[in-house]
This record gives sequence, structure tokens and C-alpha cells, in this order.
Amino acid sequence: MRNITLPATRADVADLKLGDMVTLSGPIVVTAGIPTHHRIIDCIESGKPTPIDLQESAFFHLGSYSQETENGFEILYMNPTTSTRFNDLMPRIIRHFGLRCIGGKGGLDAECAKALGEVGGVYLSFLGGGAPIISSAIRQIRQVAWDDLISHYRLVELEVEALGPLTVAIDAQGRSLYQDIDETAAAKRAGILEQLARQRAATQ
Amino acid sequence: MTIRDEHIFEATKDLYSWALRRVPDDTKAALSRARETETNETARKTLNMMLHSAMAAESADRYVCSDAGVPVYVVRIGTKADWNANIKSAIRAGFEHLVETIDPPLLKHVTNPLTLERGYHGKDMPIITYDLIEDADYIEIVCSPKALGSGRWAAMELFTFPTLETIETYILDVAIKAGSQHCPPTVMGVGIGGTFDYCAKMAKEGTLREIGQPHPEPMVAAMEKRLYDAVNQLGYGPMGTGGDTTVLGVHINYAAGHGFTPVAVEFNCWINRRSIARIHSDGRIERLE
Repeated sequence: MRNITLPATRADVADLKLGDMVTLSGPIVVTAGIPTHHRIIDCIESGKPTPIDLQESAFFHLGSYSQETENGFEILYMNPTTSTRFNDLMPRIIRHFGLRCIGGKGGLDAECAKALGEVGGVYLSFLGGGAPIISSAIRQIRQVAWDDLISHYRLVELEVEALGPLTVAIDAQGRSLYQDIDETAAAKRAGILEQLARQRAATQ
Repeated sequence: MTIRDEHIFEATKDLYSWALRRVPDDTKAALSRARETETNETARKTLNMMLHSAMAAESADRYVCSDAGVPVYVVRIGTKADWNANIKSAIRAGFEHLVETIDPPLLKHVTNPLTLERGYHGKDMPIITYDLIEDADYIEIVCSPKALGSGRWAAMELFTFPTLETIETYILDVAIKAGSQHCPPTVMGVGIGGTFDYCAKMAKEGTLREIGQPHPEPMVAAMEKRLYDAVNQLGYGPMGTGGDTTVLGVHINYAAGHGFTPVAVEFNCWINRRSIARIHSDGRIERLE
């Protein structure tokens, strides 16, 4: 399985194919909060820098439990949240920062895929319910920002090693596994309903 | 001896913790079976990761998912049980104790729906429902922590004198709407009939049924089987990135009603959080799951 070293260049992710599995090593930024996304948008609008640099970064919808200790913050566990909740907010964030890798679980919509195609970024699907696997990749906490927010809403920069496996679900050309699967399901629906009708008739 | 507050308290806090750390055996078995038959390679790998995650959580005594959800308890009181306890306040105290002592600590997921403020406490938390078990001499408590990830996709519609075709189309469409987003493969609980509130309760009970246990009535069991096949043909697959395994079980419950027929659908994500304890009349707490 291919391991991608972060920060990744456009070329590093350009040839990733839908359904490929990869691991990541290097710095990532995570949050699971809608208020956090609103603050990022506020930064974009006011021209202020975000407290953690997001330019061409790997930015993931992961909720983490962080707590302050004598030696700074520590992360006890983390796991993905549903990305589609951020559909309306992500296109602007993707385009502004030229995000290279984004991810979480459940995917993002067509507008987000289009934005990823424009900046040459990919969406990576994490395993929901994968906290033991995902948390074990954490090597270091680099920064915790906006710690006035509850733990999983904070903006956290981590150093990870072999994070994953993660499934390439939107590629750098804007092709989306989610869109393909949704379209296939919609196309199959009529046939499946006919099959149900036949099975009902056979049992009556 | 009699079942008292302290027994309810003990069971309450343990049940929640167990549910977060251990994927039920029937669910692991269903995931293993799916791994054998799944034709999509990425999906097989994802199913493998799910089983690996479940085992890693269990052996390291860690949470499977970071989202602990909100506490939901179903209390089934045996009508012959010997008990003298303030069940509601004992459950509340058990949950409070858990929040203060559980390692690692929980994230703040209890949400005030009016202000969106999040914490560990809230009005009517934990959510508790009560039932009776005729002739049983014990109290059973089921814990089913529920989070947004799969909870968000539950749906309910009210029909008038619907045909089976209308009902089954609706159930399929709810699965299509959830699509890739609810951490499939899921368990789908379905309620048909009764009244609005009772129908939702039946759907919930469906999500708690052991995978592989069909409804006792052949007509309903056949409906479960054909909907199971139908939803899996949609192709969403494990984590919604494609495959044959979108649902591990479709569990339908029904009740007679009037001409208006509610149909409710609820999902449990693949980790299918569910833990059950039986408190015997001598105070002994038996862990069933």
C-alpha cells in the first residue's frame, strides 16, 4: 500500500485512483466542528490568518479528545465524523487554501468534488468506528487552536505515521466514488422495485 | 434479597462502557460472513478493517468510535421480579458516575436542541423507556448509545391504507437517502403500523434484535429477506465506498393500527452498539451482551 508523505504536492496525489487505499505520514489538521468551519470562513473573509496554516494542507473531519497536561496537550483518541455536514462550507475552504487532502466519512457533494478537481486535491474515506486504528497513528501534537471550543471542535494539528488505510473516494480530477455510487443506485432502483414486486407476487 | 437502587446504578454505568468498547458477537459474525461473500476488493478490505478495529478496541479496552452518542436505556421489568428501587434516578446517577469516572473521558455530545450547547448533561438525559416482561423474575436493561452518524438518517412517514408496494418502496428510498453516510453496513429497524409513537418504538426494537433472527411470522420474515437483498443491491457497500454489503439485517416489527399507517426506519451503524444486563431478584447482575 502506498504511503504518502505530507505535506503532499499536487503531483503526489494526481494519479491516485478511486478505490485505492493509502496511508499518510506527516502533519495533518483535524476538526469535527461546524463552528470551527465558520471561524475558518470568517478568517477567509476578514483576511486574517487561521491559527494553524491550512495552505495546501491535509485537513480532515476527525473528532479528537484532547486534554491539557503538564507537557502540553495530548490526544486520547480520534475518529471521523460525517463530512456531508460540511458540504456548504467546504468548497470555499478547499479553493481558498488549495487543500491537498481532505477526508472524513460519508463523502462530500458534487460542488466539493468540483472544487477538489480545480485545486488538485483528493478526498480520503476513513473507517468510521476505527478509533483504535486511527488513533494509533498519532505521533505528536503540534498545535491545538481555538481551545475555547469543546474538544472535538478545536482545530488540531498532529503529526501522524502511516495513518490509515484510507480509501481514495474523490480523486484529484474531481471524480467521485459517492457520485458514481449514488447514480448507480438511482439507476438500479426501478429494477430493484420490480424484483420486490415479483417476490411479493410469488409469496402471495 | 431485592433489586435495589445500587444494582440499577451498577448495571447502568457498566452497560454504557461495555457498549462503547465491544462490538456484539452477532455483529462480528455478520461482518465475517459478509467478508466471505463480498465481491468488491476495497469493500473486503474495509470489512477486514472493521473486524480488526472491533478486536483492537476489545483487546486494548478502548472505544471503537470516538462518538459516544447519547445514553439510551430500555428497561424491561419482569412482572414477577422482586424490586424496590427508584429506577429512573438510579439510572441517572449511574450515568453521572460514569461521566465522571470513565477512562478515557467521553466527548461532550449531549446537545440542547434549542441552543445547540453541548455537554454531558441535558433535559431528560439519559433517555429511558420502560416495558414489562410477563412472568419474568428479573429486570433487563439494554443500553443503546445513539449518535448523529446513523441517528440522523432515521425517517418516518404516515400513509393511509398503504399497499406493501408503497411500504417497501418507502423503506428502500430511506436507504437510498442515507446512501454512503451512516457508516454502513447497518442494521435497519423498521416499524409498520400502530400509532406514531408506537411505530418509532417498533423500529428501535428492530435495531436491537439479534442479527440472523427473522421475524416469527413467515410473511414478515419473507419481507425482511427481500428488503435485505434489495438494499444490498444498491451498491453503497462498507463505509459507502462501494460493495455488496450495505446492510447486515433488516428487522421489521408491525402492529395493527387504524387506516393511517406509520412506517418508521432506523439505522444502527456497523458497530451496532448494544449491551444488555439482567438483574436477578437476588441482586446478581448478569451480562448478556
